Amino acid sequence: MSDEYSRSELTLGAALRALPTASPNGDVWSELAAKLAPPVHARRVSFAMPAAIAACALLAVTFVLMRYHAPSTATVAGTSPSSVLNATTETQNVNVANATNVANDTNGNLAALQARSRELEQWLHETADAATPLPGNDLAAAGEIESLIGIVDVELAAPKQRDEEKLWQRRVHLLEDLTALRYSNYRLAESSTAANAGHPSTWIN
Amino acid sequence: MTSSFFDLEVPQSLIERARAGELRAFEQIYRRFERPMYTLALRMLGDPEAARDTLHDAMLKAFQRIGQYRGDAPFWAWLRQIALNEALMRLRNRRDVEADFDPDLIGDETSAPWTQADGATLDRALSNLPATTRSVIWLYHVEGYSHPEIAEMMGKTISFSKSQLARGTARLRALLDPTVESVSCLMNTAVLS
Repeated sequence: MSDEYSRSELTLGAALRALPTASPNGDVWSELAAKLAPPVHARRVSFAMPAAIAACALLAVTFVLMRYHAPSTATVAGTSPSSVLNATTETQNVNVANATNVANDTNGNLAALQARSRELEQWLHETADAATPLPGNDLAAAGEIESLIGIVDVELAAPKQRDEEKLWQRRVHLLEDLTALRYSNYRLAESSTAANAGHPSTWIN
Repeated sequence: MTSSFFDLEVPQSLIERARAGELRAFEQIYRRFERPMYTLALRMLGDPEAARDTLHDAMLKAFQRIGQYRGDAPFWAWLRQIALNEALMRLRNRRDVEADFDPDLIGDETSAPWTQADGATLDRALSNLPATTRSVIWLYHVEGYSHPEIAEMMGKTISFSKSQLARGTARLRALLDPTVESVSCLMNTAVLS
């Protein structure tokens, strides 16, 4: 390539670089931003998932604690004993399962489920003060469960509900979850009170 | 040394914010590089719609892969490579038909009609070149790539890159210089291609 040709090329380069830059029609950034922004439901999932995981972990811990540390004839001193807490822990678990199973298998399903629902709700009401405040993760999980119970109640309130029994069953399950959540905190509060009073907790063997 | 339109400073803090997924940081980077990237695509493809699509897709890929930017080259060079790959992919899909080249049209190597032509005329002449030829000219003269680099990017030989540059330069000269006899013939050939 000759020097003269190189000079010619360089001149062409300078002429091309002197051309103005161009810009696209329309707003390309808006299209990009819509694709880059995280979808709203993703944020919802990101909150719900940890709450669900926390709830599951708590249920597992509660089950282990109940299985290995609860006395066979435990009563909660200083509070209104309900049928839920007066039962032995293992018996309670069996009763919960039995109540649901029996309700599934007999004609009195609906009544049994409604009775169980009332029982759990009453216990939650009676122990509300002792069980609060809940830790952050538990509080989030409890909020999620309460929201789901609210949805079931809305569905139950609808006229001519065909799946009424299934809804009541779901309500009982949710209340049981909430009970387990509150129960662990309730027990911790009771243990702490007993220790401070200088006598062993009735919950520790 | 050729200075690319892309050669723009990007603060490290802005890159880090974009890596963290901050939309505002993405926007700042986009605004900075919108015109250079669109211009590169337009010069190579010669079609505003295709250039717009190239800009969109290249930016989207850049933002989705910004975590892969290692920092061993300037950010603008990394971004330009993504844009270039997008444009080349579209160029390959077109399969441009090159017109036969007449070596005699190179003519007087010392004449440089582009020094006399205004921007609009040069722009028009450039747009009349086949896309591949125009791309080689642009990559070589404006973006500063060497013939081996252009050959590798296009999957062609170094000779191909050199011949495209020579053809393109000759055609531009002919298009811009009214004293060249075959201008009208060339214009027709270029438009058809």
